[in-house]
Amino acid sequence: MFEFLIHVAIMACLYGLLSLSLNLQVGFGGLVNFGQVILFGCGTYGAAIAFSHQLGPVAGIALGIVFAVVVAAAFARLGRNLGADYWGIATLAVAEVLRILANNEAWLTGGAQGISGIPLLFGDMPRPMGPLMTLGLCLVLLLAAWWLCQRLTTSRYGLALKLMREEPQLAASLGYDLAALKTQTLMVAAVLAAASGFVFAHYITFVGPDQLVSSETFLIWAMVIIGGSGNHLGAIVGAILMQFLFAFVPFVKDALGLPSEYVAAMRLTLVGGGLLAFLMWRTQGLIPERIGGKQNG
Amino acid sequence: MVQFVVDVLIRAVDLALIAIGLSSVYSLIRFPNVALVQYATTGALLALGLQMAGLPLVVAAIAACALVGIIAVVLNVVVFERLLRAGSAIAMVGSLALSMVFSAIFLVTAGPRPKRFELEINPPLRFLGARLTEHQLISVGISALAIGVFALILFRTDLGRCMRATATNSVLASATGIDTRKVTNTVVFLSGVMAALGGIGLSVKGEMSAQLGLDMLLPVFAAAILGGLGNALGAAVGAVVIAAAETMVTNVNFGPLFGESVLFIPAAYATAASFLLLVVVLLIKPYGLFVSEVKRV
Amino acid sequence: MAEAVLTAERVAKAFGAHKVLSDVRFRIGADEIVGLLGPNGSGKSTLLNIVSGFSRPDAGEILFLGKSVAGMPSHKIARQGLVRTFQLPSMPHRMSVREVLRAGSRDGAGLLQAFTGKGSDDAEAEELIEQFALAPLAHQPASSLSGGQKKLLSIAVALRSRPKLLCLDEPTAGVHPQLRGRMVELLKAFNKRGVAMLVVEHDMHFIRELCGRCIVLDRGEIIADCAPRELTENERVVEAYLGKSVAKQKVSA
Repeated sequence: MFEFLIHVAIMACLYGLLSLSLNLQVGFGGLVNFGQVILFGCGTYGAAIAFSHQLGPVAGIALGIVFAVVVAAAFARLGRNLGADYWGIATLAVAEVLRILANNEAWLTGGAQGISGIPLLFGDMPRPMGPLMTLGLCLVLLLAAWWLCQRLTTSRYGLALKLMREEPQLAASLGYDLAALKTQTLMVAAVLAAASGFVFAHYITFVGPDQLVSSETFLIWAMVIIGGSGNHLGAIVGAILMQFLFAFVPFVKDALGLPSEYVAAMRLTLVGGGLLAFLMWRTQGLIPERIGGKQNG
Repeated sequence: MVQFVVDVLIRAVDLALIAIGLSSVYSLIRFPNVALVQYATTGALLALGLQMAGLPLVVAAIAACALVGIIAVVLNVVVFERLLRAGSAIAMVGSLALSMVFSAIFLVTAGPRPKRFELEINPPLRFLGARLTEHQLISVGISALAIGVFALILFRTDLGRCMRATATNSVLASATGIDTRKVTNTVVFLSGVMAALGGIGLSVKGEMSAQLGLDMLLPVFAAAILGGLGNALGAAVGAVVIAAAETMVTNVNFGPLFGESVLFIPAAYATAASFLLLVVVLLIKPYGLFVSEVKRV
Repeated sequence: MAEAVLTAERVAKAFGAHKVLSDVRFRIGADEIVGLLGPNGSGKSTLLNIVSGFSRPDAGEILFLGKSVAGMPSHKIARQGLVRTFQLPSMPHRMSVREVLRAGSRDGAGLLQAFTGKGSDDAEAEELIEQFALAPLAHQPASSLSGGQKKLLSIAVALRSRPKLLCLDEPTAGVHPQLRGRMVELLKAFNKRGVAMLVVEHDMHFIRELCGRCIVLDRGEIIADCAPRELTENERVVEAYLGKSVAKQKVSA
C-alpha cells in the first residue's frame, strides 16, 4: 500500500507538471490547446529514442525538449491566424497525426509495441529508496515549475499574457506582438510537458503510442478547469485530486463487484462529468484566479 | 476507377451527413459541437437495441433518429445554451466533456466489444465492374436522399430562409420577428437526426463499436472545416474530398511514381491523410475553401 | 508649426466598389492636437484604422516620424509610438483596472525580464490612476467599469505606453459631462509634454477647447483643414453637416 501511494504521488506530480503547462496556455494565454498530450509525448519519445540509440539520459532530455519546442512552434504557426475553436481542432489533428506516426514508424519509435526497458533513474538503489528518490525528483521539478510559472505570470509578462487572453485587439494596439507571445508561451509550456514526459519514461520504463491518446489531453484539461484555470495552485490541486480519484476507481469497482470495463467508464465519467459540471456551475474552478492582487496563488 | 468512385461515395455520404449537421449548427450558434459525433454512435446503438427488441430495422432506424434528435435538442437547451453564455471556447470544451460522458455510457451499455446489425448476407452486386453489397447501396441511397431533403429544406422552405437569416445576423433576424431560438433548436434536431442516420449507415456497412463516433471526429471536422464551418453544402463537398483522400491513400498504388512496381501507403495512414489535409487547409485557407471572409473579429 | 509626426499622402481605401477614402492627405505637427471631424460614414474610423495599422490602405503613403508605416501590422506601429484608443473599448474580466494600466507599458514585459527584473511599483501608472479619477476603482475588474470609465481607462492605458502620437476615437462619448472639462485639461497637459494627438469627435464644444486645428472629412475626402472657429464659415463643411440649401442661406445671410 505504501509503495502504491508513492506511485500515485509520483503520477500526481507528473500530471501536476502537465497541468501547470496547460494552465499557462489556457488559463493565462487563452490558448485552447487540444494537443497537450503530444508535448508530453515529445518528452517520453525523446527519452526512449535516446535510449534505443545508446545515448544517455542527458541526450534524452535534450532530444525531448527539442521535439517539444519544434511541435510548439508548429502549433504557434498554426495559431497565427486561426480562431480559438479552429486552432483547438488543428492541435488535436496534429497530435493525432504524430501519434499515428509513432504507431507506424517502427524503425524509430518501435511502432505499436513502443520502446521498453528504459532504465529507472534510481535503479541501483534498494526497492523503497528508488521510488522515493523519484518522488523527490518529481517534487523538486514540480516546485521548480511552479516557481517558474509564478514568476512569469506575476511579472509584466504575465500582464501581457492576460491582456492577450481577454482583449487581443487592445493588446495589439499597445504594441504587444501576439504571435510572439503565443509562440513563447507555447514553448515554455512545451518544455514543462517534455520534462514530465522524460521522467515518466524513465519511471514507467516503457514508452508507447497508446500513452498519447487524446483522452489524456482531456484529462489534463479537467485538472486545469476543476482546479481553477488561471491559478497555478489550482492546476496542481486539480492534478492531485484527479490522480488520486483515478487511483481509487479500481478499488470501488472491486468493492461493488463490477466488470472491468466499468473502470474505464468510471474514469471517463469522472473526467467528462467533472469537467462539464465545473464548466456549467463553477467555471472559475476550486481555487479561482485572483484578480488584481500581486500574487496569483 | 468506378470502384474508386463507389468507395469514395460510400464513405462520403455518412461523413457528409454528420458534417452537414455540424456545419449548420455552427452557422447558428458559432461553436463546433464535438458531441455531435457521439450522437451518431447513440443513433447506431439505439437502432441496434430496438432491432434486438424485435423491431424491423427500418422502424428501429427511424425511431432511433427521432430519439437522437430529441436528445440533441434537450442537451442544447440544458447544457449548451448555458455554456455559450461563457463563450464559444468554453462551449466547445464542454462538448468534449459531454463526449466523454457519452463514451462512458456506451462502454457500460454496449460493452467494449464491437457489434453488428442482423442483416441477411447477400452476394455483392456488380455495377460497371464495381462491387458493392445491397446494404451499401440502400444505405448510400438513404443517406444521399437525406442530404437532398436537407438541401431542399435549406433553400426551398420558410424554415430554411429563417435559418439562413439567423445565420447571417441573428439580432436582425429576431428583430424581424424570427424566433431564433426555435429555429436553432429545429436545426439542432435535424443535426441530431442526420448524425444518427450517419451513425446507422456506418454501422450497417461495417461494425458498430463504442469508438465509432470518436473515430469519426477528425474526419467530420476536416470535412466541415474544408467546406468552411457554417457552410452546410460546403461540408458535403468537404466530405467527398476527405473520403477521396482517405480512399486514395489506401487504394492507390504509388509505385509508378517512385519507379517501383508496388508501393502502397500503410492503411493506418488513411485517417492521418484527412487530418493532414485539414492542417494544410487551415494553414493556407484558414476559413475553408469556400469562404472568402478573412477573419472573424 | 513644429516638425511633422504624421504625414498622410494620397491615402485611398475602398470596400468592394464602395470608395471610403480617396486622395486623403494631411500632416500633424509634433506639438499639435488635431480634430478629425465629419458626418457619420465619412470615413473617419477607416482613416484611424489605416493610420494605426488595423486596416491596410489600397494606395498612398503614411509617414510616422519620417518612416513609412502604411500596411505595417498594428503592434509594430504602436511600438514606434503611434497608439490609438477604440470607440467602444472593451476591457478584460479577469484583470483589475490597475493591472490593465500597468500592462500599458511594455518596459520589462519580455519573457526573460520576468526572471531578471524586479517587480517594482509603477509610479507612472499610479499617477494616471489619480489623474483620470480611477483610484476608487483600481482594484475592480476592468470589465465592471461603466462605458465612460472604460473610455477614461483606455485613454490612460494608451498614455501609459508613452506615445508620441495618440489617436483618440470619440473620447467623450459616454463620459460624464463634468469630466469632459477635466479631460481637456489632462490632454492639453500631456500635449505640452510632447504627445501629439488626433481626435475623432462629435462634440464641437470639446473640439473647440482642445484642438488647434481640424480636418473635416466628407464622403472620403478632406473638405476642410482649418482652425475650429473657422468651421462655421466654411461653406463645404456646413453643407456636409446640414445639407446644401441650409448652407447657402447661412453663408449668404
